[in-house]
Amino acid sequence: MNNNINFEHKMYAHCETGTLVSLLNNAGYQITEPMVFGIASGIFFGYFETKDFPFPTFIVRSRPGEVRENLAKALNIKLKKFKFKNADEGMKKLDSLLEEGRVVGAQVDFFYMDYFPEWMRVHNNVHFVNILGKEGNNYIISDSYHREIAYLDQNLLRKARWAGGTMAPKGFLFYPEKLDPSVDLSKPIPKSIKKAARNMINLPIPFIGIKGIYKFADKLKTWPGLARDIEHLSHEIMKINILLEDQGTGGAGFRYMYATFLKQASELMNNPKLNEMSERIMEIGDDWRKISYFAAKIGKNRDLGEERIAELSDMIRKQGDAEKVFFKELKKVY
Amino acid sequence: MKEKDLYIEFDTHKLVYYAEKEDNSYGPIISGSHLSANYLDDHWMKRKNLEEKLRKQVIANEISPIFYYMTYLEMGPKDLASRANMSMRKLSKTFKPEGFNKLKVSQLKRFADIFNIPVFSLFQTFLIKDEDHEKLELQQAATDNELYHITIINLK
Repeated sequence: MNNNINFEHKMYAHCETGTLVSLLNNAGYQITEPMVFGIASGIFFGYFETKDFPFPTFIVRSRPGEVRENLAKALNIKLKKFKFKNADEGMKKLDSLLEEGRVVGAQVDFFYMDYFPEWMRVHNNVHFVNILGKEGNNYIISDSYHREIAYLDQNLLRKARWAGGTMAPKGFLFYPEKLDPSVDLSKPIPKSIKKAARNMINLPIPFIGIKGIYKFADKLKTWPGLARDIEHLSHEIMKINILLEDQGTGGAGFRYMYATFLKQASELMNNPKLNEMSERIMEIGDDWRKISYFAAKIGKNRDLGEERIAELSDMIRKQGDAEKVFFKELKKVY
Repeated sequence: MKEKDLYIEFDTHKLVYYAEKEDNSYGPIISGSHLSANYLDDHWMKRKNLEEKLRKQVIANEISPIFYYMTYLEMGPKDLASRANMSMRKLSKTFKPEGFNKLKVSQLKRFADIFNIPVFSLFQTFLIKDEDHEKLELQQAATDNELYHITIINLK
């Protein structure tokens, strides 16, 4: 089997953008991770309380898969995609694509990626990796969160691709079939910025965008009543830090990555206003990071009384105010 | 955030973050996780306490091993029901020992796969005393028989 040993593996901040950047760069199409994220209008906010999750949670990026689809549309990339009802068929198809020498993107449940230590692994059906080849019973994996190329047992990969559950991977595979090097990156940028701003300020859903940040600030005050005990509450409050910083966001809930996109876009478009907006979202990101640090500290100290939770809630509300002003102004740039 | 303010030396958990570089450009850096570098001990302690609490509830017949693992692995009931190909109503019955006792072996196997444990781990727990952690480790090895695992106790 062709094991794509020339594929250059690199760490990236986020698995979906990282998988795409890796596939494109290795195919000779040079693009950065922030550019992929920005062009795909990936910046977002949503607050959720559903039975899918054992506790309220929030997201800071668009729906999984949307970055890939938006990017392909914007850059005229033809993606070949596969979903399977039958696991045997899906594993066979993967092997045949690898035999052809292709590197294949795959959606998997992160929980089964046993090259990470157990304490990092949770059930999350929207993890993306590139599969480079197969050696014996192990698949060769390029995972954006892992420092080196990793190996994963075929039974685990099978479980990870057919995990079932919320946003089940259903064996999803993809690879870029046709690239269009003639596309000028500056063309889709204005539209993508407008779309991102619209998603943050105009969607009429009370838990999405800026409204979602305010919802989070309000609902946080109910968390003590939802937790099993003080240690559970501490865990959930400290997870605010994980969701903002460590769960593949590039820091500050993707705000640092979006700042980097606006900076790169400013240079590409020769637009100083975008540079100014880049610096502003970087500062907003710094305030999200303060929230992360604060949440970790009060969680660790079990300093989780009404007053402290209200303080954290106020900090989040202020982020809503800051992002409302920011995205309204960003929408006006184009 | 400036690169120098963001960077943390912590080799165990490294991630890519975006930061402001010395030359005012923005770009990726690889840094240790602030949370892992500073609060991992607290995480271990809470996990240990949760495991003990859930184990006592299983032993007291208050909850089933399904509920134990669902809670320990932070899964939502709707997500677990979907993974187990069960209705929420049917799943909730398995949270109690009476419902758990009625599960078929094939259903137990499905749950074991979801939790990524051998089937026998739904019926027993191996514990290493705190003082022996430095000396011993447990290894659960799968065999060609998917219901049969071998537990190996290794001297470190």
